[in-house]
Amino acid sequence: MTGERRVVITGTGALSALGATPEELWSGLLEGRSGIGRVSRLVTSGISVTTGGEVRAVPHDRLDRDREIAERAIEDALVAARCDAAECGFMWSTGLDTFQAGADGFVHRSAGLCFTDLSSRFRYPRRMIAAACASGTQAVGEAFRLIREGRAEACVAGGSSVMLTPFYLIGFAGLQAVAVDYEGDEPSAACRPFDRERRGFALADGAGALVLETLTRARQRGARVLAEVIGFGMSQDGFDLNRPCDDGAGAELCMRRALSDAGVAPGSIDAVNAHATGTFLGDLAEVAALRRLFQDDWRRIPVSGMKGAIGHAMAAAGALEAIVAAFTCATGIVPPTVNLSEPDEGCELNHVLGEPLFAGARTVLSASFGMGGQNAAIVLKRAEL
Amino acid sequence: MTYLVAAALKNDLAAIRQSSPEVWRQVRRYNLPVQLTLAAAFEVTNAASADPARVAVVSLAPCQPGSADLYRWGQVVTAGMVNGNLGDTRMNPTQTLHAVDNLAMSAFAIRYGNHAYCLGLGGAAGQAWAGLEAVQERLAAGQETEALLMAGDQDCAEDWANGTGVALLFSASPKPYGPLGQSVRLVAVERQRRPHPDSTRPHAAAGLCGLLSALAAHDREGAALSYAVPLEDSDGVDAVTVRMEVSR
Repeated sequence: MTGERRVVITGTGALSALGATPEELWSGLLEGRSGIGRVSRLVTSGISVTTGGEVRAVPHDRLDRDREIAERAIEDALVAARCDAAECGFMWSTGLDTFQAGADGFVHRSAGLCFTDLSSRFRYPRRMIAAACASGTQAVGEAFRLIREGRAEACVAGGSSVMLTPFYLIGFAGLQAVAVDYEGDEPSAACRPFDRERRGFALADGAGALVLETLTRARQRGARVLAEVIGFGMSQDGFDLNRPCDDGAGAELCMRRALSDAGVAPGSIDAVNAHATGTFLGDLAEVAALRRLFQDDWRRIPVSGMKGAIGHAMAAAGALEAIVAAFTCATGIVPPTVNLSEPDEGCELNHVLGEPLFAGARTVLSASFGMGGQNAAIVLKRAEL
Repeated sequence: MTYLVAAALKNDLAAIRQSSPEVWRQVRRYNLPVQLTLAAAFEVTNAASADPARVAVVSLAPCQPGSADLYRWGQVVTAGMVNGNLGDTRMNPTQTLHAVDNLAMSAFAIRYGNHAYCLGLGGAAGQAWAGLEAVQERLAAGQETEALLMAGDQDCAEDWANGTGVALLFSASPKPYGPLGQSVRLVAVERQRRPHPDSTRPHAAAGLCGLLSALAAHDREGAALSYAVPLEDSDGVDAVTVRMEVSR
């Protein structure tokens, strides 16, 4: 990679169940806290899933909640980077449409129209990414690629989702993908990635935004660099719409492509920010992929997932995970996987349990594997300027 | 270099069902936009692709909600919320698939065992031109020799019946484009920011259909085609011009 087209992260914004800033997300993860809880308005509706990761900073009855959550994360990232939207391209996923009950009944808001609203103040390229749960990672990866190829100087990248509505909770419950309520359950432990007692993910609202730009531009502006993006890969399982390949082949392929793009050997990875949804098959496939990717190094490389703490924010998930991966690069610290206490048979990895790991991590792989078999991975590295 | 080698446009599901039972068998479980998109994609791929497993895929998700079924189901759920009881509400799991935002891309990959480059774009207004640029970028990168751009949408959220699916297959080397019998090179997608953003038509496929119509009407060999994208098919922010070159 030439010095001129190195791509760095200079600003972040995050709204999640752990708070309304990236710092609150990071500190919550380091403390091993779960932001997932019982959602009172869902309890009264009588549905079978009443837990989730709420973004409390934006009132749930705002009908433009999809736009507001995204806009706040985007603005925070721009302010942190001291950038203007008009200087940046825009790679963003607004996820799925939102369906809510308003004062006058049914309210449908299109994800496409939300993107159009958000994007108009940005310069070109403006691309709406739609790759299911891999969207956030793919948005960051696309921004990285376009900047590296000289097609943009700076981009805001990420994603946002409003998922905590009965529409999606009932739908995902039908797919047996979310953790449904049971007598005596502990809401904050609804999502237990890789754990022997895992029973699906907790849906969540959220937004994650990152400002990416060339290192040259960042230096010229005197911007604070959080981490460098050095590789991106994507793939499709081409296997099944509802479940991953048993051996995680599609996941492995996208991670290999990201490492190859970065020019980094698997053994050089210091930590993994895993997709880690807490679904039975998804976790098994991911572990199989990571173990094949790392060969014997899987016993050494720490793996952490954050959906046990904030839930699965779909289009935002990969972007929020990229932010945490960047914090890991900057600090060397790998947060624990919240709610993982006893790894299941077939889920053995070098999991970070209970406490954060001061691993001195410098190079981090962050991967997302979406429904329908759409996968994306990025490689981040500590900024060495 | 980026050459258009084949294109297909589908808007009649009954005709697909009648004339192509094998295609119908493969797409029947999906929702209208995905059915039409896949039927178009299968047609161009089977007719003109050298290796469907290695085609780079750029796919636009529908802008409308996944399907009319989902939309209606949303109304049912909302009514239940207003009445304070959703306990008995169940969703047809097949229809949950309709919410996968790039279902056509996944289904195409499964059909052909395709593990090549893939870019899932949303169906927001004007994203078709971003897709066209992505195709050009990818073929310029040289890792694939063919690229597919596909899109589909239903005409309005509540309507099962009317929609459009479109697919365009591109090659990095010159080949005749079927309908014209001449090679069609995608030269550039040019953009100029409009003074003020304007309203547009959120439809994933309509813009590409307009481009194909303009190409079909272009019969002057050797002449450049400069297609000024109508405002309604743009994102309302940029004025877009697609420049193509038709030659023997």
